[in-house]
Amino acid sequence: MSNFIERPRFTCALGGAMATVTALPKGVPILHAPSGCAGNHAWTQAGGCGLQVGGYCGGLSIPGSNVQEKEVVFGGTERLEEQINNTLKVMDGDLYVVLTSCVTDIIGDDVASVVRPLRDKGIDIIHAETGGFKGNSYLGYELVLESLLGTYISKGKTKKGSVNVWGIAPYFDVFWRGNLEGIRNLLRKLDLEVNTFFTIDDSLAGIQQAGSAELNIVVSSVIGEKTAEISREIHGIPYLMTDLPIGPAASDEFLRTVGSALHLDQEFVEKVIVQENLRYYQLLEPMTDCFNDMDLQRYAAVIGDSNYAVSIARFLSEDLGWLPEVVAITDVLDEEKQSFIMARLTSLTSRVTPKIIFADNSTEIAGQVKEHWANQQGKGGKYNNPLTPAFVVGSSLDRPLATDLGAAHLSVSFPVANRAVIDRGYTGYHGGLRLIEDLISTMIINR
Amino acid sequence: MSNFEQKEPPRREHRLHACIASGGTLADMANRKMKCCIPDGERSFSQNSICLLLPALGMMNSIPNSVVLMHGAVGCGSSAHGGNAAVRAGNVHRWGAVKDGVWLSTALDERDVICGGEEKLEEAIREVDRRYSPTIIFVVAGCVPGIIGDDIDSVAQRLQSEVSAKLLPVHCEGFKTKIWATAYDAVYHALGRVMLQETSENISTEKPKKPTVNLMNVSSMGRIDEVELERLLIALGLNVNIFPVFAKPEKMYSMTHADLSISTCPTHDDYMLTYLKEKYNIPYIIKHMPIGISNTGEWLRGVAEFFGLTNEVEEFIKEEEVELKKALEEFKPLFSGKKVFVSAGEFRALSTAILLAELGFEVVAVRSYHHDEFADTEYEKLAKITAKDFPLNIANCQPFEEANLLRRVKPDIFLGHMNGNATAAKLGVATTVIYNVGLQFVGYQGAYQLARRLHRQLTNPNFNQNISKWVNLPYSQGWYDQDPFTYIKKGEAQGE
Repeated sequence: MSNFIERPRFTCALGGAMATVTALPKGVPILHAPSGCAGNHAWTQAGGCGLQVGGYCGGLSIPGSNVQEKEVVFGGTERLEEQINNTLKVMDGDLYVVLTSCVTDIIGDDVASVVRPLRDKGIDIIHAETGGFKGNSYLGYELVLESLLGTYISKGKTKKGSVNVWGIAPYFDVFWRGNLEGIRNLLRKLDLEVNTFFTIDDSLAGIQQAGSAELNIVVSSVIGEKTAEISREIHGIPYLMTDLPIGPAASDEFLRTVGSALHLDQEFVEKVIVQENLRYYQLLEPMTDCFNDMDLQRYAAVIGDSNYAVSIARFLSEDLGWLPEVVAITDVLDEEKQSFIMARLTSLTSRVTPKIIFADNSTEIAGQVKEHWANQQGKGGKYNNPLTPAFVVGSSLDRPLATDLGAAHLSVSFPVANRAVIDRGYTGYHGGLRLIEDLISTMIINR
Repeated sequence: MSNFEQKEPPRREHRLHACIASGGTLADMANRKMKCCIPDGERSFSQNSICLLLPALGMMNSIPNSVVLMHGAVGCGSSAHGGNAAVRAGNVHRWGAVKDGVWLSTALDERDVICGGEEKLEEAIREVDRRYSPTIIFVVAGCVPGIIGDDIDSVAQRLQSEVSAKLLPVHCEGFKTKIWATAYDAVYHALGRVMLQETSENISTEKPKKPTVNLMNVSSMGRIDEVELERLLIALGLNVNIFPVFAKPEKMYSMTHADLSISTCPTHDDYMLTYLKEKYNIPYIIKHMPIGISNTGEWLRGVAEFFGLTNEVEEFIKEEEVELKKALEEFKPLFSGKKVFVSAGEFRALSTAILLAELGFEVVAVRSYHHDEFADTEYEKLAKITAKDFPLNIANCQPFEEANLLRRVKPDIFLGHMNGNATAAKLGVATTVIYNVGLQFVGYQGAYQLARRLHRQLTNPNFNQNISKWVNLPYSQGWYDQDPFTYIKKGEAQGE
């Protein structure tokens, strides 16, 4: 492993936690941190999250204790207590979440002892230890969920047909709103009641019911697993993990997997799948002429976190009929997860098996992709069979690579600096159509 | 002993008695010589803001052939994703080629926190030198090394002879200062200690023939603003070298050959200019930002006076002003009497407020990110031109105070720093960004371009007005009923 990460495609646990709390309905984070952490996060969002900064109480509105050397030397709990008490007066929140930072975790401030008495008084306040050195923004997402599960959501009587959805980290999946909505729409086709936590249609009252769900669905092979484990332990709710379902092939499988886990009537599930495919292909139909006439099939390099890289490669290969040549997975994964993802990508139902790279360094990824492309250039001369025309689906950090390959490019995975995102999403059947629109629109922009 | 002989620059709280918490009125500030607020002052409720690492990254990421090696947790430095747009645009505007900034993180984890991260940093430096072959590696400390005791200076010293790149340790431990302008000192400190030293390669560099000035830009101005200042200085027959942003490392030494250094903002440059004077005997001018009609003229007069060009400059200024004022006529009817609220870094806020008064606006409130003695004269100038008292707030962002003030003064338009316009926008106030390196702000062109943008924003503020009808700020009603400065702690004694 390298001793550094080049331009990490995520931020720290605290950043991920801030993003997660600001995505909760009227959630107010309270940072126990030095003065720069919210600003760092806001600039990160402005540059990486498709122009989405903050939320109800995000950006530089986030209250914080702004600890300094004095607190480092003498401890910061007193300052935190003052800050929390005044926050309750100034800020109008439905749920306050105290988040710690590198500095306050290292000096060992006992935040629980400050928060507990307030909660005992009936104030909706919880905390999570989210020092940046503990991990990346995906961990921060899980730490907030763990705190919610442990102190805010109690176990209830199992409600049949009710599910929770995890695995999509707000903002660090730049298309989180649309993706969550897309999953919810899919599950509603199966007549399920869906708790997505972070969309604008969710409520804290709904989130508090999460302990009554029949099943937890994690739409990731990595993110949200710990959360689901904890929910199984404390709420006794089983979980299943799936790919992020992008496009018809993955959505078919997703519906079948969920249907079978919940013992739904198979015929009913199949009927939904047929209806959705009909709809998808009827909508796609008018593009058939141009897709074929304009020769819009591409060789592709797909670069992104494990959620996107796998699912987009699959969509391109199995649904769109493109040729994913290289898939680079950019999050930090242990060997077990790496081999799981390898297995996913080598078992695509189309005949294309991409080269798979696990790397967090953009320069290294670009180097390996270019090497793969160069190896396919042929020997030169009059008749050559290089990997053109090409497309790079990745983040905005992969633009130089696309330029070098002479390929079109679309930013999907964090950081997305060059797109404006509101509630666009790529999940479900509908999301597949959005992705086709976006991919092809970038190719024909000069038409 | 010069500050530059120390490992790291002093905190501005100590060096300049800078403060970040004060609430009152313009009259409290003007003529009071820093007696308005308590150095190191605090709030009993605060919002998080930025730390010195963020502006420091803005400077470092611009330097060609450099990489920033962030020694800290994996999130420190991710603001560079936001700063990268300016690096890309800056490279295009100067050299016609898109280039991303390169920054790396040692991503300190729990094990490093317990066992120390110096070894990891050493290995990282070797690897970075080998893989990227940069001219400069900025070795930057975030909060974690500052607490666990990793010594970036010793590491850099130990490894310097082993690697080809110049190693520049930069201290950006956010918990050590509340004045993020210390960032400029931190980066200047590193550049001054390493890049201005005489070496066998640069010793023969010839002194330029024409009178030459160092024009300082710490990344608060885009190329478009530099072009305007160059135009004005070239009109005086001067050669202009711009430092330190986007300056090629091998050319930095030429800073020591200039006849004069000119600051574009006293909040930015005093640390470096003092050093250039002490060590290389280069005189300097540090007054105010060349923003606004009168301030641009004053700024130019200062430079011209130094070179004995007093008559020439008056003629030039006169011509420029006549042309500009004529061009501004079409905007003035809409501006006349409109109420404006300004919030930004101290000098930018003040000089822009003066410009707004020149344009016919009524200034109704000003917020500055911090306060130090350099700005005393600017407050006096502002008091003179506005001839009316109004709320003045010193705050390192703290949008809750801003929201409260906005509801009281009800401006027609608000000018806020990048990341500082959302509060006013969500209250339905028209806004114009006061800091954005893609836009033009300085000199005569800047005054005109700002006026154009103000005119455009005032003509159709529907975006903000619509948002405000349906979106709430995260503050309680009780807060709006309180004095906006309730949470500023009052010290035992006012002033020093």
